[in-house]
Amino acid sequence: MNNILLLEDLPEIRSWLKVLIKQVFPDAQIHEAARVHDALELVSAVKFQLALCDLGLPDGSGVDVVAALGKSQPECQSVVVTIHDDDDHLFPALQAGAFGYLLKEQARELIAEQLKRMSQGEPPLSPSIARRVIKHFASQTQPQERPQNMPHVALTDRENEVLLRVAKGFTLPEIGVQLNLSRHTIADYVKQIYRKLNVSSRAEAALEAQRLGLFRR
Amino acid sequence: MFNRLAFIAAAHAAAVLMWIAAMLPVAAHAADAPSVLVIDKALSVVTAPGIPASFTSTTLPVSLPDDWAETRPRFEGSVWYRAGFDRPPGTDAHDLMAVYIERACSNVEVYLNGQRIFSGGRMSEPVTRNCHYPQLVTLPGVLLQDQGNLIELQVQGHSLQRVASRQRAGGMSELKIGPQALLAPEHARRLFWNVTAVELASLVLAVLGCVMIGLGLMNRGETYLAHFGWLSLTWGLLSARLWWRDMPWDTGVMEFLFCSAFAPMVALTVLFLLSYADLRSRWIENALAAQWVLVPATLLLVGPGRLFFVASIWYPLFVLEVAAATVLHLVVTWRRKRQDFWPMAVLLVAIVGIVAYELVRQRGWADTLDLPLTQLAVPLLFVGIATRLLQVFARTLRAAEDGRETLEARVQQITAEIEQNFAQLAELRVEQVTEKERKRIAGDLHDDLGAKLLTIVHTSESERISTLAREALEEMRLSVRGLTGKPMRLADALADWRAETVLRLGQANIEADWRSPADETEQLLPARGFVQTTRILREAVSNIIKHSGASHCKVRCTISDRQFGLTVQDNGKGIPMELDGKLDRGHGMSSMKHRAKQMQGQCLVESGPGYGTVIRLTLPL
Repeated sequence: MNNILLLEDLPEIRSWLKVLIKQVFPDAQIHEAARVHDALELVSAVKFQLALCDLGLPDGSGVDVVAALGKSQPECQSVVVTIHDDDDHLFPALQAGAFGYLLKEQARELIAEQLKRMSQGEPPLSPSIARRVIKHFASQTQPQERPQNMPHVALTDRENEVLLRVAKGFTLPEIGVQLNLSRHTIADYVKQIYRKLNVSSRAEAALEAQRLGLFRR
Repeated sequence: MFNRLAFIAAAHAAAVLMWIAAMLPVAAHAADAPSVLVIDKALSVVTAPGIPASFTSTTLPVSLPDDWAETRPRFEGSVWYRAGFDRPPGTDAHDLMAVYIERACSNVEVYLNGQRIFSGGRMSEPVTRNCHYPQLVTLPGVLLQDQGNLIELQVQGHSLQRVASRQRAGGMSELKIGPQALLAPEHARRLFWNVTAVELASLVLAVLGCVMIGLGLMNRGETYLAHFGWLSLTWGLLSARLWWRDMPWDTGVMEFLFCSAFAPMVALTVLFLLSYADLRSRWIENALAAQWVLVPATLLLVGPGRLFFVASIWYPLFVLEVAAATVLHLVVTWRRKRQDFWPMAVLLVAIVGIVAYELVRQRGWADTLDLPLTQLAVPLLFVGIATRLLQVFARTLRAAEDGRETLEARVQQITAEIEQNFAQLAELRVEQVTEKERKRIAGDLHDDLGAKLLTIVHTSESERISTLAREALEEMRLSVRGLTGKPMRLADALADWRAETVLRLGQANIEADWRSPADETEQLLPARGFVQTTRILREAVSNIIKHSGASHCKVRCTISDRQFGLTVQDNGKGIPMELDGKLDRGHGMSSMKHRAKQMQGQCLVESGPGYGTVIRLTLPL
């Protein structure tokens, strides 16, 4: 880990998070920002491997930074660090390309553990988020209505299976046991689900924009 | 429907005409008893009124009936008639005898053997108008001799030229002398038809007219009602000339007034016919008004001596006007396919026919029927029209009433709908405002309180304070969720609880065994119910992790139509009893019970040292 973006407006929390990140990634260089504006400037200047973004900021939402990162630095892992645990707040961030989320009030050890797992490609997935993802893909526009240049994103049967089980309240390790899959395989499915959610959401947004006449081709 | 109505109306009119025909007095004299003496020849002499008659040089034999218009044209004044007679055969001195004079116009005085025995009224102007009154004069027994009786009659009359109708011209009918009992019925019959029936008709028309005028006043839109009302009233008043004997003014004045009154009556008739067909013409109205002035003007201009001449010019004109208006009315109603075309056609044609016949009579081209046909039949037809009008009016009124009721019902319905919509809108608005306010409060809580609590969580030196602040933050989040959340599918709630519980127990190395009904239920859980149950479950799991020392935890869910049950059982060391025999309050049991009670549910805790703990939560759905 070379460059890590830390976007957080509360100084105490920011310094606390900074300590935590240092603990998990001792070699990383941490770029701090307290506002969306500053963070976007950093995004255009520095190449990041990891970004921790708060959602509610004085000059906007961290979702914009997540989206900007997803567009300009696809290999960067964006993680939402927030006080909101409800999917109304989390889902847009995941659609924008966030790779997972951390709840700020959790104990330092827990956050450190989750952060480490995410950086190793094991993002968390809650039942309510899983339900939203299922709903999202179910409501996707029909392929025949989709313009040629729009990628058609669909989940595989296995990914669907994992999503359905998560939605029913099974934990990822339990699903691994049920489906006789390794922990890493399950994590890969979840990663794929997040990625596809992002791609599909971007396609949907583009389609929506086109429908509204924002694009001229 | 249309044909049936027309047929009924026609049948009705036919029946009326037949009834009139049946009631006509028998004109032939053949019905007279042989003992009645008919005097159809007399000597006549012209005198000035009041001067005793001397039947000398100017004596003229005449046959009765003597129509002055024929025998003495333009004569104006008094004529004496004299005839001699013997006691009719078959009668004796004990019989009450009488002389019956069917018509003596305008007035008559009767003398028997030189004695005046009867006077019909004033013999000088204004002369009593007895033209329509038949006279039955009893002959005093003391004056009546078996043979050589002399009856003298002084008739005061007017020339045809000075009166408005032929019936008012001077004249004398034949005389009938016989027993009073034999003559009385004929007199009564004629009196009824000539006078009483006309009086009745006048009364009926006047009343009818007033009613229609009243209706017309109340319904200004239906002008034909008022027109017909005034027409009826005028006709009724004009009919008075037949039975009103003692007028306040000279015959010349009265005849002028009566004749002039025909103009407004014709105007009203035309207006009625037009307005009933929904027609209106300024031009016709002006012409009628002009006529109203023109008729009296021409009458005045030519003077009383040519009243009949001028009137007989106007009358055909009047009849033509009425006939034209009738035709116009019928053509329009026929074109509009109006339901009452046929009844109205029958009635109107009958009226025009009768009036035309009256015109012919006035000209002297037809035998006088000895009956005021116009004065009787026309009122009857008027009553027919009025019935028709009232029927139409009543139907319109009923239709309007029905329409009004329908409208009222509709208005009520719409009002109710509007009220309901308004209530719904208001409710929606309240909901929206509430929702917005909740979101604002939630946002504030997160941004302010949440941030501060978070700072405490991560900066506090004391682990206890961090834990408390973390718990407070969790509480706050749940509260916000309860504040803003929508009802949740029970199956989704169970999934969320399962994921959290299994994860937490797993992290604490406690084996979790969660079983819930496999089949998906569509039942909903209110946001508050979800939040409170989450708290209870979270508290229970925290207790197990912190205090029980259990290695295994069983969670069972049951869902029925009205109830939802959750049982959490561990194999730990149980909750220690307090001195009073109750379970330790420090384990949050009371707050769990309190939360359950808030949702009208209950939370039972069973525990004993060494037996583990069972928490049974039941909530209504």
